[in-house]
Amino acid sequence: MSSDPLEQRTLSAGIVGDALKQVTRNVPRGEPPAWPTNAELQVVGKDVKRMDALDKVTGRARYTFDVQLPGMLYARTLNSTVPHARIKSIDTSQAEKSPGVRAVHVLERLLQAAELRDPGEEANEPYPVIRFAGQPIAAVAATSARAAEAALDLIRVEYEPIDHVTELEDAMQATSPPVFPGPTEQHATAGGGGAAKGLPQKGNLRGPSKGGSRGDLERGFKEADVVVEGEYRTQVQTHTPLEPHGVVADWRDDELTIYASTQHVLSVRDEAADIFQLPKEKIRAISDYTGGGFGAKYGIGNYGTLAIHLSRKARAPVRLVLDRREEHVSVGNRPSSLQRLKIGAKRDGSLTAIELRSFGSGGVAAGAGVGSCHHSMYSCPNVSIEHYDVFTNAGPCAAFRGPGQTQGIFAFEQAIDAVAARLGMDPIALRDKIDTRDADDVRARAAERRIGAEKIGWSRRRAPGSDTGPIKRGIGMAQSMWPYIVNSYTTCEIRIQGDGTVEAFCGTQDIGTGTRTVFAQVVAEELGLHAEDVRVHVGDSRFPPGPPSGGSRVTSSLTPAARNAAHAAARDIASRVAPLLNAKADDLIFRNGRIERRDDSKTSLGFAEALRRAGIETLVHRGDRRDDYEGYARKAGELNISPHAIGGVQFAEVCVDTQTGAVKVERVVAVHDCGRPINPKLVESQIFGGVIQGVSYALYEDRRLDGPTGVQLNANIDQYKIVGSRETPQIEVHLIELLGGQSSTDARGVAEPANVATAAAIANAFFNATGKRIYTLPMTPANVLAALRAE
Amino acid sequence: MRSFEWVDARSVDEAASLLAATSATAPVIAKAGGMDLLDLMKEGIVQPARIVNLKSIPSLGDVRLEMSGMQLGALVTLAQIERHNGIRSHYRALAEAALHAATPQVRNAATIGGNLLQRPRCWYFRNEHFHRIAEADHSEHQHHAIFENQQTVMVHASTLATPLLAYEASVHLTLGKGSSRTVALKDFLLPPSMQRDRDTIIADGEILTQITVPPIQPGTRCAYHKQTERDSYDWPICDVAVVLQMNDDVVASAKIVLGWVAPVPRRAVESEEILVGRRIDELSASEAAAAAVRSATPLPKNAYKVPILETVIKRTILAAR
Amino acid sequence: MSVAPHHPPGREAPGTFGPEPQPLSLLVNGEVHTALADPATTLVEFLRDALGLTGTKIGCDRGACSACTVWIDGEVAASCMTLAIDVRERSITTIEGLSREGELHPVQRAFIEHDALQCGFCTPGMVMSCAQLVDSNPDCTLEDVKTAISGHLCRCGTYPNIFKATLAAAEMTRTAGKKK
Repeated sequence: MSSDPLEQRTLSAGIVGDALKQVTRNVPRGEPPAWPTNAELQVVGKDVKRMDALDKVTGRARYTFDVQLPGMLYARTLNSTVPHARIKSIDTSQAEKSPGVRAVHVLERLLQAAELRDPGEEANEPYPVIRFAGQPIAAVAATSARAAEAALDLIRVEYEPIDHVTELEDAMQATSPPVFPGPTEQHATAGGGGAAKGLPQKGNLRGPSKGGSRGDLERGFKEADVVVEGEYRTQVQTHTPLEPHGVVADWRDDELTIYASTQHVLSVRDEAADIFQLPKEKIRAISDYTGGGFGAKYGIGNYGTLAIHLSRKARAPVRLVLDRREEHVSVGNRPSSLQRLKIGAKRDGSLTAIELRSFGSGGVAAGAGVGSCHHSMYSCPNVSIEHYDVFTNAGPCAAFRGPGQTQGIFAFEQAIDAVAARLGMDPIALRDKIDTRDADDVRARAAERRIGAEKIGWSRRRAPGSDTGPIKRGIGMAQSMWPYIVNSYTTCEIRIQGDGTVEAFCGTQDIGTGTRTVFAQVVAEELGLHAEDVRVHVGDSRFPPGPPSGGSRVTSSLTPAARNAAHAAARDIASRVAPLLNAKADDLIFRNGRIERRDDSKTSLGFAEALRRAGIETLVHRGDRRDDYEGYARKAGELNISPHAIGGVQFAEVCVDTQTGAVKVERVVAVHDCGRPINPKLVESQIFGGVIQGVSYALYEDRRLDGPTGVQLNANIDQYKIVGSRETPQIEVHLIELLGGQSSTDARGVAEPANVATAAAIANAFFNATGKRIYTLPMTPANVLAALRAE
Repeated sequence: MRSFEWVDARSVDEAASLLAATSATAPVIAKAGGMDLLDLMKEGIVQPARIVNLKSIPSLGDVRLEMSGMQLGALVTLAQIERHNGIRSHYRALAEAALHAATPQVRNAATIGGNLLQRPRCWYFRNEHFHRIAEADHSEHQHHAIFENQQTVMVHASTLATPLLAYEASVHLTLGKGSSRTVALKDFLLPPSMQRDRDTIIADGEILTQITVPPIQPGTRCAYHKQTERDSYDWPICDVAVVLQMNDDVVASAKIVLGWVAPVPRRAVESEEILVGRRIDELSASEAAAAAVRSATPLPKNAYKVPILETVIKRTILAAR
Repeated sequence: MSVAPHHPPGREAPGTFGPEPQPLSLLVNGEVHTALADPATTLVEFLRDALGLTGTKIGCDRGACSACTVWIDGEVAASCMTLAIDVRERSITTIEGLSREGELHPVQRAFIEHDALQCGFCTPGMVMSCAQLVDSNPDCTLEDVKTAISGHLCRCGTYPNIFKATLAAAEMTRTAGKKK
């Protein structure tokens, strides 16, 4: 964390084109001067084409899935066939002798799941206790995948079964079989997750965590003119990245190289170092391309641990990539939830009380809370929050695009919509009344409500259930809130060669969000070049430290560091080139591939020529992500949370066939803020993705387990249903440019904000269409018909 | 997927004699488009010792549309059916079913023969676990049968069977060496079973070579609708084929078939009887649809299918033209 | 599509292969490639593991996500559900063979222009389906595009841009056709 001396500066802040004003900030000394608005910049704020698009459309982009090394072995994993058991014995002797087999390894410790606070008798277990069907046990490396698979059949595992439970509400019962014999703790991963330490646990019920509670709830409800109450249910959603989790581990001599499909190369290195007791400098994690992650791809996990062991034993590189079933079952999911939510409000709309009791199951992992929106989004003096984790014999949860908040907003924004309906108030007017904190996200949402209402045609909105026929249409809206997060320890390095070559390095990665491109744009802006002139290098743990691609924090963390490094390089070049142009360094500007005098653009030199004539051979500069100019509200490890959040408002138009229960989302208007948009085109792509995943969550996705066996029944792509081309609504994205006066680029993220509100907006549109609330996700025909039948 | 021996059959006779050599320990299995077979093999449900390639046999891939009706070679692909102008104009319900099956990639490879012979899409059936390790109790039966579901709750997967039954198609089976039989499609399909290795009456060594569809009479109206959760690519909640023989504006005879709601596609005889002698309108279609679902015996988690089926029957009747 | 000068030599019929690996020759991107493969080898495994053509991906391995899409005789196919041995004497085109003489297919250009990709893992398959559509029907409509990729899964949600890109590529193709 930087503790640089500060200086006072006057900066512009607010929404560009709407309400820019001058603010005073304490800025770390040495920060570059603030950029003007995007309209006045050359490269930043422009729709620069994605840097890696050519490699991707030609199939040349090399994913971990595609890594093929000489002598590489193929590994497959043996997974538990039972949902809960002690393993009495494992016999791998036949498998070891199987043709083509080079190594077999049995897992000693299970990662990602919760762990017993006091291992007690389990400390004596020879193998990790099985707590879900599909739990990895061992792996085999062989000369072909086929040989590895054949060998798996030869491993003998003797189970001693234990009673199990798979359904949330069954697991909540005092009589339920316990998933863990005692209280547990859940360690966080680089992707966030984890759970508050030291909470009470009774049976499968761990909690409550009460963060955000305040005031006097009883008084709050007494003061209310209306009270709405509801019980909301959300399903388990699996991440289903198209490239499954996988690594190629190459342990040779004392050095370990790990090619990983990951959202954070540094977390891969760090977890491997921890488990294998290796110094971090002996490990190199590489991820050129990652085929999607959405929150589940951090660290090395159980499969990575197995692959590394196998590589060490076989003295050869080992490829272990999960198959689609394993991907669904064992490496993460969005936990389910059961949310009992009660809100009190006065006639004028002001909220008097919010009470939430949520129960969520992340299977064998904790971390199934439903976010922070209930206590942090709207003004309300009396709030009571209780989140409980409910353990079940099912695969562990992991962070998933807007973890907690997506489930929470589904219920909370519907409840607010219900308050508006009860009060006979327009849902937008109600938000105007209660969305009033002094923060950027609040100001952003106010503007976004206005823009969205106009674009969707909010004035067309009719009373709930107005259509008389079986096909009913409606419009709804919901708001998003997601923390604006900055990652400490983010450093970028710029290397400039005398021939004009510019390279930029950071140990972050581009999982498809466009990190390479925004990185290049920021550097190019400072050096007066085109983005394509900057060669960006990411995805290698040997580069200067970079942020994880999670928490919507890469752009907010990376781009200021990138700008600071490039700015330093530019100033260095300017000082050396100044004599050639008879100018002072401060009077030189970088523009259109040239270095020119501010007062006389004709006195200039081409970038490469200037370097050559100034005798520059190699120039290296580094820049750090300094603290936000207003500091942070909270810090958790490397994660810094701003008092300002990221907003976003989404409007949906749906069509409900009340006879077949078919819901079609016809149109979505998504209005968002992400500080200064570095590349509006890529932001739009991200928002498309967030909305489409939100539609998918709202309407289709649903992991189904078989109760008696704990086996996932739809661990595939055809029966685990995800939005396809024909379910994609017409989506219109509107972006505001919001300057916060917080960093040298003022950029923020958008991946999660774009996903958080979609399901709630659809649900509110459903209510407007039908006059009925849909309390249960997904909105399958079965759930829709049940909702329409309800009183 | 384990390796196997592969043989290119040159003729139906040769294929039949190769297939006749099948045994429990060394299964010999015929392959056409291979979509279902590869799926079963990848899931570890089927492990052939030898595969007999039928695609090397000439002439099983032709569509013949004549006054006397239509003959579809068993290797005719779903893409061929969906694009065939004659089928689209004369057997619209069949073309529609082909068009809405699977994905474009799969339709290019999948054959009509394989489609009829495919195993259930039941998620218990398709999981090795319930063949080798645990009994399937079908407690998650949301996609399963709402009729005749006492013996099995699984439903036949073929959506092309639904219109073909409404068109009263029959299948041609041959054992080779001149020995063959023709069987009405309705007698060909059996309720799915996890114990048997097929869900039809086809015998070991027998090959489905052709599907015959009777000619369409003047005054025939037809329609097909597959109701799904998703439009892009999905298995049905139910599918309905309607073939109406009209005498002026009045129904002379009706064939209504309901897929994915019973172990084998079900003729909605109750609906057909209601329609005969009446005009097609909102009322007659509603009555026919209501009659069809009256005897439904839904399970705890699939009762939602009943009103949906009723709606789809009604709408499909009204759509028939 | 590239057309081969000649088909690979077939074996003497009736062919009996396997179960052990044997040399198998396939015509891929206009060239005959021979490698050892057993009959259970799928086309995508042959392309990726035997020929090193890793542009074609495997997403679900069951024909349900279409990430593995290649062309067989110019038609789209799920290469994960196709046995390599089953496409002897057919002409295979993969993403590596789509651009001719270094010039990108109009669909590839349009995908770049319209940002029709994010993580990119589904992209080669998407490109193959959209290129097949544009080549066979330059007058295609939005509905045609939706149908052509109805079996594809893009988890990042690039569909709106794929629609735009493919229609733009069709437009480019129509214009280019008129100029000729």
